[in-house]
Amino acid sequence: MKCQFCERTCDLTKGRSFCGMYMEENGRVKERFPDQWCTYTPSRIESVPFYHAYPGARSMIIGTAGCNFRCRYCSNGFIACKDPADLQEVMYTLPADRLVAMAKKMGCHNIVFNVNEPAVSLPSLERVKYYARKEEIPMGCLTNGYTTESATRLMMEIFSFVHIGLKGFSNAFYHEFVGIPDMAPILRNIRMFAQTCHVEIASPVIEDVNDHELFDIARFIHDIRPDIPWHVFRLLPEHHMKESLYPNIDRMDQALETSRKLLPYIYFHNFVGSRWVNTLCPDCGHTVIKRFSLGCSGDRLDEFLAPGNTCPECGTPIPILGTRVAWNEKQSVSWEAVS
Amino acid sequence: MSLAVIDAREWQNRFDLETGQPRKSDTPGVEMAAGVLSRHPYPGDVDEQANQWVTDTALDLISHYDPDLVCLSYVQQFFSDRHFKHPETERERLFAAAMAEANRFVDLSGFTPVIVGTGDMIPLAGDMDLSGLDGLAVSSNWSARYCGIHGPSPRDMDFLNSLDTLERIVPKQEWIDLFQAAQPDLEILQDPRLMPDFLAVAREGQAFKTMGTTLRKPVHIPANNFQVPVVTPLGIINDLREIKPLIREHLSTHKIALILVEGVGESFFPESRRLVQNGVDWFCYEPGDAFYLTLSTGRHQPFAYPAGFRFFDKDADAVKFPFSGYMDMILGHTLALNFPGKSIAVGNRSMFMHMAFGVDISIECFARNLFNQGCMAVVHRDDK
Ligand code: SF4
Repeated sequence: MKCQFCERTCDLTKGRSFCGMYMEENGRVKERFPDQWCTYTPSRIESVPFYHAYPGARSMIIGTAGCNFRCRYCSNGFIACKDPADLQEVMYTLPADRLVAMAKKMGCHNIVFNVNEPAVSLPSLERVKYYARKEEIPMGCLTNGYTTESATRLMMEIFSFVHIGLKGFSNAFYHEFVGIPDMAPILRNIRMFAQTCHVEIASPVIEDVNDHELFDIARFIHDIRPDIPWHVFRLLPEHHMKESLYPNIDRMDQALETSRKLLPYIYFHNFVGSRWVNTLCPDCGHTVIKRFSLGCSGDRLDEFLAPGNTCPECGTPIPILGTRVAWNEKQSVSWEAVS
Repeated sequence: MSLAVIDAREWQNRFDLETGQPRKSDTPGVEMAAGVLSRHPYPGDVDEQANQWVTDTALDLISHYDPDLVCLSYVQQFFSDRHFKHPETERERLFAAAMAEANRFVDLSGFTPVIVGTGDMIPLAGDMDLSGLDGLAVSSNWSARYCGIHGPSPRDMDFLNSLDTLERIVPKQEWIDLFQAAQPDLEILQDPRLMPDFLAVAREGQAFKTMGTTLRKPVHIPANNFQVPVVTPLGIINDLREIKPLIREHLSTHKIALILVEGVGESFFPESRRLVQNGVDWFCYEPGDAFYLTLSTGRHQPFAYPAGFRFFDKDADAVKFPFSGYMDMILGHTLALNFPGKSIAVGNRSMFMHMAFGVDISIECFARNLFNQGCMAVVHRDDK
């Protein structure tokens, strides 16, 4: 009995699966910890970071436990890399309808799954989608993209905006730093997601390790669609890479120079005060969206200067899912209003 | 106009503190602070060297700025004890090492100390999951004892009343009245509509599990420290609020260091310590903004950033002071605000020191959720 949610395709009859989130029961794949969430917190959509989806919106951030990757630099290792069974005491039990009601109570415009990998909790997320759709609450996620084709299609139904990690551009990198043998499924899935979802892509850059792969990534994105926003994250040395050096910001900026000729929406951040977080009109260079970056999930919208999602100087359309959403467009509401 | 110098490891930039916009400035004070920053990369919140960083950075800053007043915070032991399970001997070593580091500063600087502990830490005995309420329960990352309850249903109130791990449930007005009686000129600085309808207060050793609490389950939390230890040769005090006037009174004759050691209780203080009042009646300050601000302003400050308030309903599109965490205003009455002499602050309580004490120049780590992003200097003024 193999799990078909991600490309690890674990045999569930042979003890704990890799992520520890699925099991076999009566010949079916079953979630071990359905409706268990590690957080439900309002946060800015830019902090996820989504830069080209509902700018300024208040998102409800959710996550579960477990992951199908073991990135050496994982910054959520204390949730993603532990045995999910050991984490259940910190989880919140919130059935899908109550989770969506929570988003409404907290005045959230959308729901974003971003702490760990959504592939390890897809049945729960499918239930959330059912109630979220009823309330017209869009859903998005961060994913490492290592899902099977069928799971990717399921995710395309659940999520309308997806942020995919493309952590390097060689099997050697993925093997050594992530622990998977082949990155081809990730490339396949990015192409699939880009057909129906709003897609942004993130790549952590580790100096002298994967910085030489940046241009290959840029070329890959360009070939799908040049207007896909690409976030290049300066590695924050965490987890098993705590002793590593922080990548040099000026050198990494230089390393991106050639890629900028291919992609108009490249953002270089994950460090406090980054000046590479604004959106410039690709035609006239006018700043159309100003952001502020505190690094580490601390980004926010500063000024939205593209009414109607177009450059006010030259009228060039700026690719944005939805429109500018004021943080307080919806405020928290009482339980009477939700029920 | 205050200026922030951000050092994200080998990369420094200067910003307007209030707007967050890049700003050019090369005044001597800014250059000096930038130099100190680059010489002292922050080792990380739970790194063994994090407290030594406070002392070394402060001494470097003193050698260049020659201040009369220094405010320091040593927090490594608090972070470490809160998040990691250490054997009892190791815990004691951590707290003793923090005190030793504070004393090292005093010995090397020659400043007259006022050392304040925030009180003991105790094991987390259990937590109350309030995610199932019909209303909204809001706590904060660093608070264990308090949780705001917004718009509870009758079912919620029945549930809360049934919890024997809950010490009390206090209506908003009763909470305000308690402090108004103790501090007639009490300031409520946030929109009162964002304050919780009720404040849920946990029994000692208990914490809340709600929206806003950390993903990292704490191992130890602050005890109910209704009194906290203080040691100083400057005089006798009985209340946290008396520290500010005591320091201000002696600044004309002494160079003074106000030193906070978080998570440290009475037993690690010398014999000459005194226990001073920390709060009012059932409300004791936990280590955090209200404690720092009460200490610094000499007034009760539970309502600058009230426990359990709906911080997310503030108008985030107009947020000021983006480098200052959830602090979005420069408070009046802080310790060094109108002090004509020179003042500095250094600490590993991130995004905090520069707002809490009103000093001329501050240096603090820039870590969020224990992720080490570098350091920040804030130059409020360098015209002295
Ligand atoms: S989702 Fe989990 S159980 Fe399923 S194949 Fe991937 S790692 Fe294995």
